Amino acid sequence: MADKGNDPAVIWQAMIGEMEKGFNSFATQAMASPEFSRVMNQVGGVSAGAQKQLGELMEKYLLAMNLPSRAQMVGMAERIQSIEGQLNEIKALLQQVHHNSLAPEDGYGTPRPPRTKRPPSEGEPK
Amino acid sequence: MNAPAGLDLASIPERIQSEVQRAIQRSIKGVEYIASSGPSLGSTPKDILAVRGTMNLYHYRPMADEIYRVPILIVMATTNRGYILDLVPGQSFVEFLLKRGYDVYMLDWTAPKPEEKSLGMEDYVLDFIPDCIRRVQQDSGETDVSIIGYCFGGVLSLLYGSIFHDGPMKNLICFTTPIDFREMKLFSNFSDRRYFDVDRLVDSVGNVPGDMIMASFDMLRPASRAFSQVQLWDNIWNDEYVKGYRMMDRWGSDTLPLAGEYFRAITKDLMWDNKLYNDTMSVGGRAADISKITVPMLHAVAEHDHIVPYEAAKHLITKIGSTDKEEVMLKGGHVSLVAGANAVKRLWPKLDNWLGKRST
Repeated sequence: MADKGNDPAVIWQAMIGEMEKGFNSFATQAMASPEFSRVMNQVGGVSAGAQKQLGELMEKYLLAMNLPSRAQMVGMAERIQSIEGQLNEIKALLQQVHHNSLAPEDGYGTPRPPRTKRPPSEGEPK
Repeated sequence: MNAPAGLDLASIPERIQSEVQRAIQRSIKGVEYIASSGPSLGSTPKDILAVRGTMNLYHYRPMADEIYRVPILIVMATTNRGYILDLVPGQSFVEFLLKRGYDVYMLDWTAPKPEEKSLGMEDYVLDFIPDCIRRVQQDSGETDVSIIGYCFGGVLSLLYGSIFHDGPMKNLICFTTPIDFREMKLFSNFSDRRYFDVDRLVDSVGNVPGDMIMASFDMLRPASRAFSQVQLWDNIWNDEYVKGYRMMDRWGSDTLPLAGEYFRAITKDLMWDNKLYNDTMSVGGRAADISKITVPMLHAVAEHDHIVPYEAAKHLITKIGSTDKEEVMLKGGHVSLVAGANAVKRLWPKLDNWLGKRST
């Protein structure tokens, strides 16, 4: 077998790993300066404000076009999810009722395991 | 001409053949990757016990014939989805616990809606967690509950435990939980109070968008996302690698927004005033002093955690009031500590050994 040190694939992977470490280290050092924080927050503040204004403008535009906004679509998706969740709960309840009618043993639904487990002693398989 | 030292000329055709095969596989698997969806995550059978706005409480169906008396409530970090602890069968922390005989509940979060922007720290600590504890007690029929908090879920669990120190918490396990926020150097710099106007941000956007939270996490290792793409292409012939990549990539990109007032409190009380470390933290007017917590406590930290460096987490074990307490440092990063192939071998068995004897 070829020596690992001469394997081009291994050399490539090691190089990629080192480059990643180098870039990360350089960037994190640069980002640790107060200057970076000042510039980032200035840009971020302007961008957040602009994003909000743009969002409001888009919402008005979509309303005028009689189209739902993203927020409304997300809201709708969440309501559907919630309905699905409730359907699942109803399904689970129906299954419990069905199960109880076949084997009415504890009146609670699916029997749960007893809470009697003890930790295995040293050397005992788990 | 002589071959360089260590180079076996006879192996060259074999190497070329192997590289050609991998190149072909890369093309085939590359198309498959684009055309297919990732593995199904968070599929351990569970019942939804409660959904209230951003709060979701699940009960996982037991997998053992006999379970420990004390149930576990896992409190997830508010920025991330709980399925990181329930990836796929064989790599699911939840499944591991169930098979080892624990009764597992999870407090997971969904994105807060615009009208939930007023949710504050007190809603999480004084309402959501106590509500879930009550429901766990009711559902399990047990008074005692062990709590496992991951990352900021650990901070919330600490705040809960310090305020309700006479309450039903039987054991507390924290994974990579910061208490000295000055030591989260980059986050601290990003939120420098001289330049970061948190009031302006929250007042203008309401809930802090998930994209913004994700970008701040990415900035801790800015090159990693790009390099991970290169590594993915390099390893795309390897199904196991691709599966692992897809699981982590999906989770990493699935960052949740944070409720506005909650974000404001985190920034002012923790990032700026470091109140948890300075023992001056209060939630809803109630003092939250972690030295009041006296239950058995385990804190697991990761050796190469770039999100919560050890310096930010190390004082927890000394400041907590418990006498039965242990800190364990394991190899790995912020996520690989709790999920993935390394966690299966390192953290999970350690936790089982520690918690089993305290769960009867």
